[in-house]
This record gives sequence, structure tokens and C-alpha cells, in this order.
Amino acid sequence: MTNMARRVTAIVVPGLAWATHFIAVYALISAACPPRAMIGYSHLVATVAAVTLAALAACLWSVVSGWGKTDNDLGGAAFWSGLIFALAIFADAAILFFFQGCGG
Amino acid sequence: MSVVENPSDYSGTRKGEDKSFEGVWDTPKGIRRLSSVSHRVVGRRFIYTGFVFFLIAGFLALLVRTQLIVPGNTFLDLETYNQVFTMHGTLMMFLFAIPILEGFAVYLIPLMLGARDLIFPRLGQFGYYCYLFGGIIVLSSFLFDAAPDGGWFMYVPLSTSAFTPDVSADFWLIGITFAEIASVTAAVELITAILCARAPGMSLAKMPVFAWYILITAFMIAIGFPPLIIGSILLESERLLDLPFFDPALGGDPLLWQHLFWLFGHPEVYIIFLPAAGMVATMLPTFVGKPLFGYGFTVAAVVSMGFISFGLWAHHMFTTGLPILSLSLFSAASTMVTIPTGVQIFCFIATLASGRPRLTTPMLFILGFLAIFVLGGLTGVMLASVPFNWQAHDSYFVVAHLHYVLIGGMVFPLFGAFYYWAPHFTGRMMSERLGRWVFWLMFIGFNTTFLLMHVTGLRGMPRRVATYPEGLGWDRLNMLSSIGSYILAAGIALFVFDFLRHKRKGAVAPRDPWGAGTLEWLYPPVTPGFNFHAIPPVKSREPLWDQPELLDNEAHRVEGVMRGIRDGRRETMGCDPVSGEPLYILRLPHPTWIPMLAAFGLAVLFGATIASFYWVSAVGGAIALVAFTLWGWEPSDSGVARDAGMGHRLPVNVVDRRSHTHVGVVGTVLVLMALFASLVFGVLYLWNVAPGMAGAARLPSVLPVVGAALAGLAVAGFGQLGRHAGLKDRFAGAALFALLTAISAGLALWALWAALKPIDPWATALGATLWAMAAFVAVNLFVTAYCALFNAVRRLSGQVEAGQCLPDFNLATYAKGTGLMVVATAAIYLAGALQGGAG
Repeated sequence: MTNMARRVTAIVVPGLAWATHFIAVYALISAACPPRAMIGYSHLVATVAAVTLAALAACLWSVVSGWGKTDNDLGGAAFWSGLIFALAIFADAAILFFFQGCGG
Repeated sequence: MSVVENPSDYSGTRKGEDKSFEGVWDTPKGIRRLSSVSHRVVGRRFIYTGFVFFLIAGFLALLVRTQLIVPGNTFLDLETYNQVFTMHGTLMMFLFAIPILEGFAVYLIPLMLGARDLIFPRLGQFGYYCYLFGGIIVLSSFLFDAAPDGGWFMYVPLSTSAFTPDVSADFWLIGITFAEIASVTAAVELITAILCARAPGMSLAKMPVFAWYILITAFMIAIGFPPLIIGSILLESERLLDLPFFDPALGGDPLLWQHLFWLFGHPEVYIIFLPAAGMVATMLPTFVGKPLFGYGFTVAAVVSMGFISFGLWAHHMFTTGLPILSLSLFSAASTMVTIPTGVQIFCFIATLASGRPRLTTPMLFILGFLAIFVLGGLTGVMLASVPFNWQAHDSYFVVAHLHYVLIGGMVFPLFGAFYYWAPHFTGRMMSERLGRWVFWLMFIGFNTTFLLMHVTGLRGMPRRVATYPEGLGWDRLNMLSSIGSYILAAGIALFVFDFLRHKRKGAVAPRDPWGAGTLEWLYPPVTPGFNFHAIPPVKSREPLWDQPELLDNEAHRVEGVMRGIRDGRRETMGCDPVSGEPLYILRLPHPTWIPMLAAFGLAVLFGATIASFYWVSAVGGAIALVAFTLWGWEPSDSGVARDAGMGHRLPVNVVDRRSHTHVGVVGTVLVLMALFASLVFGVLYLWNVAPGMAGAARLPSVLPVVGAALAGLAVAGFGQLGRHAGLKDRFAGAALFALLTAISAGLALWALWAALKPIDPWATALGATLWAMAAFVAVNLFVTAYCALFNAVRRLSGQVEAGQCLPDFNLATYAKGTGLMVVATAAIYLAGALQGGAG
């Protein structure tokens, strides 16, 4: 893989991590909350925490790969992409800490 | 595998017409002009047609404002008012905003990237005629006194047969779905063009930032439009066939429509905003005289917005009773999208601060954009907050917010873009003096109309009411808003006058009239039809600023690759998608009527369906099928190598994953996967929200489901084997595997039908959705089988020569996508069958 291809991958991977994380959180909330209530709230929180760590790790890889790089080879874009998506992933998961259950 | 490494000369290449280089690229004259496939002609058609829809929609908006100018007004009756505001939103969102921006992209992208045309010119022509015919279908509803009146979002149950028994909703659903084909085809075309046809040396890091914006937007269209297409097909099926997708009595859910609609609808806001922001990012450095601040920030911000905008859809549904946790998730995502948006705005402001901006007319519109869009963004953050959203929902506050975002974020940059690129279209400059009048009239008119609407909304006025009683504190605000709308309209009228005037009386534009740095200004306006005599190597994001040799010479003397032609064909250069290095020669089609015929066939199919003339629909479908077959039948050009100049010897139409047709097929499979995922979402959603009805549904038969999965694997496997045989020039083997692919597709089709036979699609919504999923997969299996047979017939009839295995290569990718869908469908059926009561 060339440097440029690696940078492009580093820009896109955090986005894919965010998308996977978002779908997972949405699906888990839909599974945990009525009408089916297939999993308990504690399971929901634990699973979201695990998925969040994995997604943040993907973002971290981009941040590290773009660290100190210039815009000439899109290194800066990889860095900022990792950072922005890490924030978005954290915000999507953080909502669970403010609630005790599906009802609020 | 690839045959790039060892391309060979042989005499089998097709020759074009015996014309000069200029003659080959000439646009046909007279009526034959309609057969033109040039990106410049098609792009301008999109722009002009979109602008006509804008004027019509604007006129409808004036009718709305005139009705609301005083309380208790009877200027429009209630039914007409509903039709007028529905058509205003529909035309603006579907037939103006996206098509006109795509028109600019279709026109500008090849010029900016150093290509002679888009890669799939016939697809561009096809898309344009789909858009035109779709728009005509929607507008013709006025002639039949059946204009849609259910709002631009067509909510169910209002739009179901029970509450809208006439054909008005059918006009909307069928016409808009048809017009959306144009957007999706343009998306695939733009993705491929940006990745596969750039000037030598133009890596992704040296690409003009506008191309990044368009690339991300095109991906968003490819993924964002399918949910609405599926939703529209489900709703039309409910109306035509009584299938109960949205009927709560049978396990359906009206909210499924809202989910599908807004899965499209919210990304659409960004699909509209991003290209316009890309225009700003292109124009702004020109008037500041410095490169865009933070290219990397901007790329990261655009990519982030592209993704995160898909996580906001439910904030349009905060008042529908979603679980509190879901509300919080969507509220968080809605808030987070402001970060990349803010990064982008700060990049623009920093660029402004880096030089002394020239206050030209386009620059005024850019400043207007910044002021208005930032205000719209701030009210967007307010609406992302659930408690505030509950209060402001469906009030005029939301109307004000969305107009600040859409007019500020898109219309102001668009008008700036008209002034900026008009010399490119016409060779003449629009008037700076009139331009300033246009700007100030629009700016004052816009803010008078919509700033006050925030207050009107906070005072409690709901949207979509045809009139209101006096004395509620809304009278004066509405009067001022209506006066503002007339001022705004005056600005637009003045613009139309200026545009028409400048075509004859405007000052002749010099070369690079604004002192821009991007490649579209290399030639003096109007650029010749072939865009570049020779395609110059690019070493910078602003080549006209950083490579003096480009402007020091006359444009036609600039050094570059592919000067002239040898075979009398339209050609441009194909590149490596990442590095931009020359990879192959792309042969492009000449003017043809076939895409127009295909679009006409589909228009007949769709139009006759509204009128319930189903045999006419069948004729239309047959016309389209014949046209598509003729389209694909032309002899292949691959397998030849040519000197391209500057030391490059390149093959024609490379056969590997970087081939433009393969990238196009991948883009198409992406769209199909998004369509399929929308159906999977529908199945899971209904299964989840109506457990009782899901339990009542009959189950698919297990054995045929397993058979379908195996047949799906066979479709993918034989497709792949056909690719291998083709790459090794094994003619009989490739034909045999193509036939086996077609047979496997037929078997998969039969197995799916056998699996679903026990399920009555009219009994439950879940059953109907399972059938819909099977029908979609069946269409893909049919296309796979048709293409496989097509390839086999071409080989058996001697149409294919050594090294011409691109169709086999591409079929394998399509077959794998279809096989994956079959297996996923079988897995869902199997899960239901094994769990009992789930499916």
C-alpha cells in the first residue's frame, strides 16, 4: 500500500468505525427497549462500552498515523478525521451514562 | 489479475469517423443536438432545467406568501393551498436543488480535473432525460387537477389510498422516483469520473477541493437516495396492490415511512449543502488571492459530515414517541455534526483573513452565505435539543430554520457561482452593477421574509395552515414576511434579466477572468468542446497559480499527454484512483439517441402506470430493455496500446479493479446494497415493533431457503470463474461460466419463490416486506442472468477478441453482489423459520 493509499484509508476508517458504532448503538437500543425488550439494560451498557472502545481504537489509529503530518499527503486530514469521529463516537455512547433504563 | 502489464498492438481496434480532432468533439447541430452526450451540454441542461423548476417553485412560494399576507385571506382555497405548498417543497428539493448542483458538477468536474469528458457520457444523457421526464410527470399533475397535496414528505397514512383515493400521490411517488434515477446515475458517474479520470500527477491530495466535496456528495447520494426509492416503491405498492406495509391493523407502521423518508431526507440537506460549500471553497481563494486555509481540515470535515449526516434522520421524528434513549442518541449525533460544519466555516473565515478579499458580486454572495448559513446552523443546534424541538416542532420556527440553511447554504453560493462561472458558459461577463443589486435585493428580501418567521414560530404559528385568525400576534409578522418575499423575488427577476442580457451585451470575458487557480480557466472562455488539446501534468492544487507554463503559453500549445488522436475516437486519460498517474486510454462514446430512447421507454412505463394502462407500461419496459441492450452491444475497444505522449505508452480500457467500468460497477453495487439494506431495515423494524403480528405470520419453507443460499453462492462462484477464464482468454470457458451464472440465477429465483410460497403477502405487513425483499433480489438475479447471457452470446457470436474481457470482469463483481444479497435474504428467512414466528 502506498503512503497516499494509507492516508486515504486513515481518513475513511474512522468514518466506517463511527457508522458501525452508530448502527450498533441504535440496534442495541431497539433490542433493549420495548416492545421486544430482548436484552437487559445492563447488557446494553456493557455491549455499547465494548463497541465504543473498539471504535475509538480505530480512530486512535488514524490520529496516530496523521500525527505531525502535513496536508501535502493528506496526513492532516487523517488526523482530524480520527479526532472528529472519536468525539462523535464518544458523544453517541455517552448518552447511556445519563440514564438508568429505557424509560429515562 | 491484470492484463495491463503486457498490452499488445493489434489491428482489431475500431476506427472512428474520418474527422479532425476538433471535428470528432463537435456538438451536433439542429435537432441532433438532443443526442449530444458531452458533459458540457448535459451539465448545462441540468442547470437550465433546474433553474426553470426553481422559478416555478418560487412562483408557488409567492402564492403561499400572498395567501398568508393577511389573516382570513381567501386568495387560495384550502385544497389549492395544500397543493401549492406541497409542489413548492417537492420542486425545490427534488427537481431544483440536487439536479442543478449535479449539473454544475457534471459541467465543472472534467474541466477541473483535466479530463475531456465524464467517463460515462451516455449515462449522463440518460440521467438528464429521466430527470426531465420525471419532472414533467410531476408537473403535469396540475393539468389533470391532481397535484399532490400531502406535503413534500408524503406522510402515511394521509397519502395511502384510504385518505388520498385520487392519483395525486401516484404522480408524486412515480414521478419523483423516476427523477431520482437521474441523481443516482449522476452520482455513479461522478464517483467514477473523479476517481478514474484526472490529469497526470493529480493525486487525491492535489485534487481541487471542489472534487472532494462532489466525491463525498456522490457517495451520499448513492447511499442516501435508496431508502426513499424503496419507501416510494412500498407506498406505491400499497396504493396499487393493497399490500399492508404501513397498515397498523396488519402489523404495518406509518412510522416506517417516516424512517425511510428521513433516512433520505436528512442526508439530503447535506447533499444540497456540500456541493454549494464546495463552490464557496473554490471561489473564495480566487477573490482572496490565497489558497484555501486548511485543505486537510476541510477534507476531514467533509468526510465527517458525509458520514455523520446519516445519523440525524430521527430528529425529524422527535415528537413521534420514539424511546427516550433513541431521542438522546439522535440528539447527540445532531449536535456532533456541528463540529465538522464549524471546522469548515472556520476554514473559510481563516481564508478570508489571510488576504485582502476583492468585493466582487460572487464574493458578496459568499459573505451572504456565511452570515445566513451560520444563523441557520445555530437554530439547527437549538432544534437538536429534544425539549426545544418538542416546543418548536411543526411551527414557523422550523420553516425559518430550514430556509436559512437551504437558501443560505445553497441558493446564495449558487447565485455566486452563476456570476463566477457564467463567462465559462457564455464567454461574457455578467454585470457587476446589476449583480450588486441582485445580491442586496435577495439578502434584504430573504432576511425580511425568514428572520421574522423565527418570531412567528415562537409565537405559536404552525406550518402548513392556509390561513389564521387575526389578533394572535402573527398579522404584522406575516405581512412583513410576504413583503420580504416580493423583494427576494425582485432580486431573482433582476438576475434573470441580467443573465439574458449578458449573453448578448455582456463584456467579452478574457482568459482566466477572475485570476483563478483551477484548471477550468486554462482556455479563454468559451473552452473548446474537447476541453484540452493535451492534458497537462499537474503539480499543485492551484495549477494556474503555481505552474506559470500553463498561462504563459497559448492554451492549445500547453504540453501534456494525449495530444490529438490516432483512431478518430473521443478519448481521455484514465488514471490510478489514488496517485493520479496515467494508467490507460479511455475511449468515450460519440453522440447517440439510445440513452434518450431508454429514458423515454422508462417514462412510458412509469407514466402509464399512473394511468393504470399496464399494457402500455409493458411496451415502455420493452422499449427500455431493447435500448439498454443496444447500448451494451457495441464492440469492445480494449486490448490495444497507443503512445500517449510524454513517455507514456498506455493500453485502451485497462482490465483490472482500477478500470473505470469496474469502479462504475462497484458504485452501482453500492447503490443496490443500500436499496437492499433499506428493505432489511424494513423487515427488522416491522418484526421489532409488532411482535404479535410477526408471530402470526406464516414461515418460509426451510429447504428452499437453503437451496436459495446455495444457488446464490453458485451465482457468485460461477461469475468469478468466468472472470478467470476471460482474463486467460479462454473463450469457451468464459462463455460456459456465463451460462452457468445465468442458470444459477434462475435456480436462486425459483428457490426464493418456493421458500415464500406459504406466506400470504396480503395477510401481514411483515409477510409483504419479505416478499418485497425477494422481489428486489429477483430483479437483481434477472439482471445478472441477462448480463451473463448477453456476455455469452457476444462471445459465441465472435464479437469478442483477445484481451477484451472487461464484461466478464465486471459481471463477476455484480454477480458477487447479487450472490451476497441472496445469501443474506436466505439467512434472514432461515432465522425466522428456525426461531418460529419471526418471519
